[in-house]
Amino acid sequence: MSKFDLSRRQFVGIAGGVAALAGLAACGGNGTDTPASTDEGADTAALSGSISCSGATSFQPLVEAAADAFMEANGDVSIAISAGGSGQGLSQIAEGSVQIGRSDVYAEEKLEADQCEGLVDNQVCIVGMGPIVNANVDVDDLTLDQLKGIFLGQITDWSELGGTAGPIQVIQREAGSGTRATFEAAVLGGETAPDSFRPVAEVDSSGTVVEQVAATDGSISYVAFNYMENDGVKALTVDGVEPTQANVESGDFTIWAYEHMYTREDEDASTAPVTQAFIEFIMSDEFAPTVVEQGFIPMADMQVKKDADGNITAA
Amino acid sequence: MANLMPKRRLENIGLGITGFCVALVALVVVTLIFMVAQQGLTTFFVDGLNPVDFFLGQNWIPEQERYGALPMIVGSFAVTLLSTAFALPIAIGSAIFVVEVAPGFGRRVFQPFVELLVGIPSVVYGVLGLYVINSLVKAIFGDAAPTGAGILSGSLVLAIMILPTITTLSMDALRAVPKQYREGSYALGCTRWQTTWHVVLKSALPSLMTAVILGMTRAFGETLAVQMVIGGVERSMPTGLLDPASTLTAALTAGLSNATSGSVYYHALWTLGLILLAMSLVFIMIIHLIGRKGAKANG
Amino acid sequence: MASREGALKAHVERINRQDKIATGILTVIVGLVILLVVAIIGYILVRGAGRALTPGFLTNPYNDDVAPGILYQLWDSFYMLLVTLVISVPISLGAAIFLVEYAPDNWITSAAKTAIETLSSLPSIVVGMFGSLFFVVTLGWGISILAGACALTMFNIPILVRTIQQALEDVPRSQRDAALAMGLTRWETTINVLLPAAMPAIVTGIVLSAGRVFGEAAALIFTSGSAPARLNFGSLNFLSPTNPFNIFRPACSLAVYIWRLTSEPTEGSTEIVWGTAAVLLACVLLFNLLARLLGKFLSRRLTAE
Repeated sequence: MSKFDLSRRQFVGIAGGVAALAGLAACGGNGTDTPASTDEGADTAALSGSISCSGATSFQPLVEAAADAFMEANGDVSIAISAGGSGQGLSQIAEGSVQIGRSDVYAEEKLEADQCEGLVDNQVCIVGMGPIVNANVDVDDLTLDQLKGIFLGQITDWSELGGTAGPIQVIQREAGSGTRATFEAAVLGGETAPDSFRPVAEVDSSGTVVEQVAATDGSISYVAFNYMENDGVKALTVDGVEPTQANVESGDFTIWAYEHMYTREDEDASTAPVTQAFIEFIMSDEFAPTVVEQGFIPMADMQVKKDADGNITAA
Repeated sequence: MANLMPKRRLENIGLGITGFCVALVALVVVTLIFMVAQQGLTTFFVDGLNPVDFFLGQNWIPEQERYGALPMIVGSFAVTLLSTAFALPIAIGSAIFVVEVAPGFGRRVFQPFVELLVGIPSVVYGVLGLYVINSLVKAIFGDAAPTGAGILSGSLVLAIMILPTITTLSMDALRAVPKQYREGSYALGCTRWQTTWHVVLKSALPSLMTAVILGMTRAFGETLAVQMVIGGVERSMPTGLLDPASTLTAALTAGLSNATSGSVYYHALWTLGLILLAMSLVFIMIIHLIGRKGAKANG
Repeated sequence: MASREGALKAHVERINRQDKIATGILTVIVGLVILLVVAIIGYILVRGAGRALTPGFLTNPYNDDVAPGILYQLWDSFYMLLVTLVISVPISLGAAIFLVEYAPDNWITSAAKTAIETLSSLPSIVVGMFGSLFFVVTLGWGISILAGACALTMFNIPILVRTIQQALEDVPRSQRDAALAMGLTRWETTINVLLPAAMPAIVTGIVLSAGRVFGEAAALIFTSGSAPARLNFGSLNFLSPTNPFNIFRPACSLAVYIWRLTSEPTEGSTEIVWGTAAVLLACVLLFNLLARLLGKFLSRRLTAE
């Protein structure tokens, strides 16, 4: 029955192999594929390492485009991008399980104070948002107060706003969405809708908002600028101001937020240079055209800034 | 060949390896229950939410730190009961037909057909619901269902999903009824329908109930198909069947990506998970109770 | 007397009519069910066929500018299925053998049975959220194929254990008795007699369960991630997140991709959703067919020997 002995030895061998593989892979997970260059004078071409970036889906396509371009230029770098929402991104950066956590709200709004310690807030670009309505709605402009009235459930019929009579169907983003937080901070000014107020749908993404608004008569919702150009929906002006990049930059249009890429102060030295270079690349002039192309606003041209409480001041 | 390995040892090794597998599975299940309970109870014991407010609160508004789970609890039960009500007559009806009226057709054609439905992934049902059933509901009810998403659409999708489960299990239940019962009934001059109604269904009742409960278990725990069609409104109580609502599973799917680990919101979501876990244990218990009662009644 | 006969006749007529009506209604119901099955499967396949059969749909990456496809998702689905089976089949085999052959009749066994039953009735999202904490964070695997495969394993085990248990129990008593009578231990009997005899049913069960696993999404969203992976099939670095074989990289299966696209639609994504749904459904149906054929083939070969 030496047969069994052999198989036991095989088993031990296999188990050892698996363990070794797992160990290796664990190293790869938080470290580098090859030792990071320690050469101070090295240019970006000498960068190597693999980092992962998780979090908000709203600007994931932008980050993916950046990662593609960045990896093209730096052959030894690999960047894994996963989605999961701002909450996941912030949790994971707070735990240190990723190198970059994407969020469209300030970390302080979602994390406990002690979890925020050691986090570095990189504001990489700006996203502007505005109200959209079903294309059949014959209202083109709303004041901030009217918007507030609609989303607080006080104004319920388009005739109250000078349009053809018909119920206003409010489509909301889901609780916890960064887009919703930004919109409500800029529009509701701290007030909250009464408990009895029920939107006609709460949806998980801007893409779904566009689909639902286009398909639902009398509906209103809000999306980032890059979702406004779609069949069946119409972007409104707010207090007569068009939702455009220029108006956000000048401070005339007030519904916008920063896109954050959080990193850690105590990031491992083997990945920190890659993380840093990648974030610098996203904010660089070289990448700015892609940022604009995808409907975001580069930081460089902003004439105003917004603090965590939503106050806008001259930059 | 001489056996070098003592039999006793070989037997123990076999026992060890297989026992390890079972222990591993049990360990994972225990870990799961422990973790869900630990995270879910943190809401009450650490974050200090009042359980009564949690289970009976009618508003789920995380940005205001208000966690009332009743809208989702009601949503989950509503779609479960409604979908069972839709699916049950059809499932039992077709089970009776293929067992009592056309057994050959049942085995060769109907059963493989219905089993195809079991295999369809739930996201595919979701796609069907999102693009077809929601549009249908919207077309039929007009302004009463502005987006078509709601409890009714969710229940319809679920009804299709649990139909094969209930049907196949009911078929097994009816087939298990001893032939003598039917022959006795026919000998008394009863028609096929009388036999079915008074004899077969009655003696298969416990197994039929098990079939229904298993269907309900699936409906209660079904996630993506429901989440895609129900509208996802969690903040207050649904007021009608056409009202967009949410279920425990849908709220979890939507919420988990936005909640940060360690926050009250995150723990509140785990409490929803704990409710789901508790309900599936309750369903298992009901099935065991029915089984025990059925066994007692039959012998 | 006449009136009594009349009443009896009326009664017989009534119950016969009832019988006919009932049969009629049942026939209609069965017809409707068959119609429903044909309509659902037909609709999905036909609606998605246009996109699914477009050149490049199966062979292009999702971010292709001209003809976006589902190559990476297809790969991830099959690869994750493979990893899942590698983990779940041995465990299920062991557990099933224990329950059939060794299980002492005591509380440990009944606890184990209850554990497996519990596992089978857990909502997939609960498994997913458990995985997102236990596999991803506690065990430190991160959002990865391995974490996803382990979550899928938790699904697969109850199904597999039950099928394998059934298959072992269905082996004729005489075969087992003969082996034991020849002085073989239970372990030897199981390995040399029971398993080979039960193999057709076991293989069929594994393939059938593969179909279930293949379409699962809710348990994966928070364990293996929901962003489409970007793969480099030329990569030789097994630790790179773009290496297709790396089990520590995030992945996105066909089912998760469908969910992602419906919850975050983009320009033209509806067509991709239908195409992907048709491909997914076709795969699942193929698994079904394969299971039946394999079962038949294996049992024929076995009986031929």
